[in-house]
Amino acid sequence: MIDPEQIRWAILIAMLAMLMMAVFVITFVILYQKRQLAQEKNLREMEKEYQLKLLETALNSEESERKRIAQDLHDDIGTMLSLTKLSLNQLMKIINKDEPQTEYTANKVQSLLEETILHVRRITRELVPTTLKQFGLPTAIDEFVQKLDANHSISIHFNCIFENIPRQSQKVELTLYRIMQELVNNALKHSNGDEIVVDLHMEMGKIELQVTDNGKGFDAKAMKESKKAGLGLHSIDSRLSVVYGTVSYLTPGAKGCRVKVQVPVEPEKANKAEPLHPFRKSA
Amino acid sequence: MNNYTQFFLRQPLSSLSVFITLLPIAIIWYRRAYSNKALRVLFYYLIVKLAIDMVMLHYAAYNLNNLLFYNINIPIRYILLSSMLYHYFDSKRYKQLLLFSAIFFVLFSIWDIVSANKDLTDTYNHTIIRYSATIESVLMIFWLLAFYYEAIQSLKIDNLLAFPFFWICGGLLLFYSSFVFIAPLMHYNARRIGPLDLGFLLYVPYLFEIISIVLIAVGIMYYSPRPYDRS
Repeated sequence: MIDPEQIRWAILIAMLAMLMMAVFVITFVILYQKRQLAQEKNLREMEKEYQLKLLETALNSEESERKRIAQDLHDDIGTMLSLTKLSLNQLMKIINKDEPQTEYTANKVQSLLEETILHVRRITRELVPTTLKQFGLPTAIDEFVQKLDANHSISIHFNCIFENIPRQSQKVELTLYRIMQELVNNALKHSNGDEIVVDLHMEMGKIELQVTDNGKGFDAKAMKESKKAGLGLHSIDSRLSVVYGTVSYLTPGAKGCRVKVQVPVEPEKANKAEPLHPFRKSA
Repeated sequence: MNNYTQFFLRQPLSSLSVFITLLPIAIIWYRRAYSNKALRVLFYYLIVKLAIDMVMLHYAAYNLNNLLFYNINIPIRYILLSSMLYHYFDSKRYKQLLLFSAIFFVLFSIWDIVSANKDLTDTYNHTIIRYSATIESVLMIFWLLAFYYEAIQSLKIDNLLAFPFFWICGGLLLFYSSFVFIAPLMHYNARRIGPLDLGFLLYVPYLFEIISIVLIAVGIMYYSPRPYDRS
């Protein structure tokens, strides 16, 4: 006959072992879950970082390609056109000026050539905004707006207190400049308005760029979801993700559209003025 | 009334294990947690448990044999708790197995009651079933471990400590882990002739029942109508 006291102790020990197992299981589940979630979070962050790097590389490649094309245009086509102009000037001196037809044709060729040189210069400047690197974002936007204002029937204004905008890295300034170009071009092409206002100012430690038009407005969300259109808007989002910026689309009044872009100001560093060649390769 | 008072004074732990059930019932009602299917089943279980426990307490206060209710409680408890887990599980295989186990267990516990008590009308000599409580404990421990396994496999829940079922299943796991080795001896302890005195061990199930009910209440406190998964 087994002593009941022995049975009680045996059961107590078994029960304690079982309880320890239960507590161990619960603790293990909590710790394991925490570790797994932390790993998953790390993985997601790495993936996000990798995607950003990819995007940044793609954008850098695009800028490099623009620089290369601008350099080719400037060095090859530009030089050739200058030489052609020089040769044409010499030719103008020796042609028979008594024949009005010949003189008319020569003048026409000369004016076409000068126009072509101006176009090539404009395209080169648009491809690589040298003013941006040399004088900063407000001056570059101002230059862009003034040129557009002179060439279009639509009235374009730029509001900015230049000295309030600190110099930023080339990446940030170029991003904001390209976004401004995209937004202004969109307004010119699609808004059907007669006034565009570009505003650049500081807002709670962020650089804020606003492009407002008085046109027909649009539904940004629907546009982004649409497969046919919205590539420009997607490109704005992609560019902003690289500089941790945000964009919002608003309707200021009964009509028109206001696009607000905000980019955090980078910590100040010594921005030494560099002698700049438009096509100097960045270090 | 005097009988009840005497019983409460004589058996404070078992009395407390009955009345503490009101705590999670009140919290489920207050937080409207019954809108969740699994918690609704838990709510039904707690109400049935409270009702059976009250009847048993009444019988015990008047020194009457209440073991018939104890026996009936086992399959009912298993059906309701496994139904609660059925609503939680994602895996179809687990759900099917749970369903089969519930059917099997009900049939088995009916057989167990009949085989332990040849004359069911003799309530005076009614005894506790032999195997059902142990099998119930083993099955429930298995399903609760399966719950934890599925939780860490799917990583659906961001913060397990704020997930009601984590606490509910934790409470149940502690209760069944403490009960699984005592259950086989209950049949021999609760007999009028030749009892095996379990001594202080008899209080252990009451103690862990109270702990599990408190943990269930804590779990329900975390109830929120928003989805818990990360989808």
